[in-house]
Amino acid sequence: MQHMLQPASTTSRSRTALIFVLPLLFLVIGLALRFLAFRVAQPEAGPSAFITAMCRWDCGWYVKMAQTGYDPFPIPSRINAGNWAFFPFYPLLVGAIRLVLPFPTIVTASIVSLLTTYAAAVIAWPLFERNLRAFTLYAAYLLSGPFAFYFTSFFTEPMFVLTMTVVFVMLKRSNYMGAGLATVLLSATRIVGVFATLSLIVQAALDHRAATGSWRGLIGAFLKRPNLLLAIFIAPLGLFAYMAFLNFYIGDGLAFQHTQRAWGRPYGNPIFFVWQGLTAWPNTGFWPTSSQWLAGAAVLGFVLTLVLAWRRQWAQALFAFVSLTLPLFAGLASVIRFTAAMVPITVLAMQLLASRRWLFALSLLGIIVLGYVIPLAWLGNNVALV
Amino acid sequence: MSLLSDPKPGSPRFVATYGAVALLALIELVILWQAIHPNVPEAYRAYYIDHTTTCMRQPVTGAYTMGTTIDFRSGGSDTTELRPCGWEGPVGNGMHLLGETARLRFATGTTTEAMTLTLEMTADDIEGMSDQRVVVSANGTPVGTTTIPRGQTVTVPFAIPAGVTADTGLLDIVLDVPDAVRSRPGDSNTRKRSIKLTEATLTPN
Repeated sequence: MQHMLQPASTTSRSRTALIFVLPLLFLVIGLALRFLAFRVAQPEAGPSAFITAMCRWDCGWYVKMAQTGYDPFPIPSRINAGNWAFFPFYPLLVGAIRLVLPFPTIVTASIVSLLTTYAAAVIAWPLFERNLRAFTLYAAYLLSGPFAFYFTSFFTEPMFVLTMTVVFVMLKRSNYMGAGLATVLLSATRIVGVFATLSLIVQAALDHRAATGSWRGLIGAFLKRPNLLLAIFIAPLGLFAYMAFLNFYIGDGLAFQHTQRAWGRPYGNPIFFVWQGLTAWPNTGFWPTSSQWLAGAAVLGFVLTLVLAWRRQWAQALFAFVSLTLPLFAGLASVIRFTAAMVPITVLAMQLLASRRWLFALSLLGIIVLGYVIPLAWLGNNVALV
Repeated sequence: MSLLSDPKPGSPRFVATYGAVALLALIELVILWQAIHPNVPEAYRAYYIDHTTTCMRQPVTGAYTMGTTIDFRSGGSDTTELRPCGWEGPVGNGMHLLGETARLRFATGTTTEAMTLTLEMTADDIEGMSDQRVVVSANGTPVGTTTIPRGQTVTVPFAIPAGVTADTGLLDIVLDVPDAVRSRPGDSNTRKRSIKLTEATLTPN
């Protein structure tokens, strides 16, 4: 018995070590790839400018938020775009940490983002059903991959991915209170995070059906479980707390939505925007336009959401569908970023890419190569990546 | 019994948990009620909530030396203190009027005499765009309308009646552009395009 247990235990310990070491390895590789891209894109800039150079577009808003908090009204800088559009949890967390660290805000933010994304990768392990190849791809994707600059600079994506991962790990274990508490932070990180509450309800319903073999008595069963109801009402508290703050500070609890007008975003049918993007052909050559890349990312996101549904991962599919669809009512802006940070979709994609040994090897190579190439586009102000 | 396990119906913990649920539901309802009844200044409501204007006035001084010609092209004058809202730029060939209305402000001091405001403007040249009407008012008094053919530049004098700035020492000019167009379907009306302003001069008569 001792002999039989020994190898299994050793294997288990090795696997546990890999779960911690692999993301660390990709964290280092990713930093090296992006630094190399930075040196190639901006050879005249000194090495110390690396972290600042990776901070583009919305990153600038977050840096200012971490330093000075939310704008009052009228906005002191005399613009219409209030920073109330940006949800508070991550920038204010970085703002709190910068008070105790002696670094510039963007350096502190980048350190916190690296640690947060590393934690997100490690914590995601239970979502991979002991599939180490898929987990390896996922760790590479988050920390060295084509969109790792979102997860390692100052965007809300690191915290969004971490809290979303915790939600789905908790739901996998039918720990509704844990999922509810993680959703509090998720819904204080980005507005779509609040829809994890729906995933919680769906998972609880599915668990009920799995336990009883029927949908009958679902409402009654929910009512007999006050802890579940408590989790459901706790989950959106991140959003509600932010609304209460805005109401106190600005007088408008929906200022995060109303201020979108200042960005001049269009409003319309998501299908129309995706079609418009797909058919925005380049004037010359065959290289797809920014609109086509964005629309392509949306289509890929929805295809993978359908696969989630086909695999009956309803809680994940619902969250991905709602979180991808809602922003599309305001056009294609940031769709690549939103899709790249959608945990159920990226976890599924890595599982699919790890299904064959040769595909795994090819995918890992592709992730690493793109982890160098796409940051070049990012540093070149490619608008599709905004 | 673990706190994570559901309490037995009727037990004190069952009642307490239900009480917490009810309290949370009440708090969330109150926050929702407050959110759909915002308590904000009129300018905030008009721009962000009711969408009755695309031009939300920002506090500017209007600092201006009477008779000076202001260049709104890039590399020209710093016009920040003259532009309360509705402008984007400058770009090489002028300051874009963005939306359906834009404002200019000139600090005129204590003068009560009549003035002439001369504006040099160019209509944008966007496919499907018609000639652009510009309706100008000064401190609420209509002072004229001009029509600029698509892609053309015009210089138009507007007579400002005597006494309109007597109360405040400020001349607030509103330019309405009723023919402004969306350059892409579905665009917000805050992004409508119409004209570019290239020069402005205010002279006493």
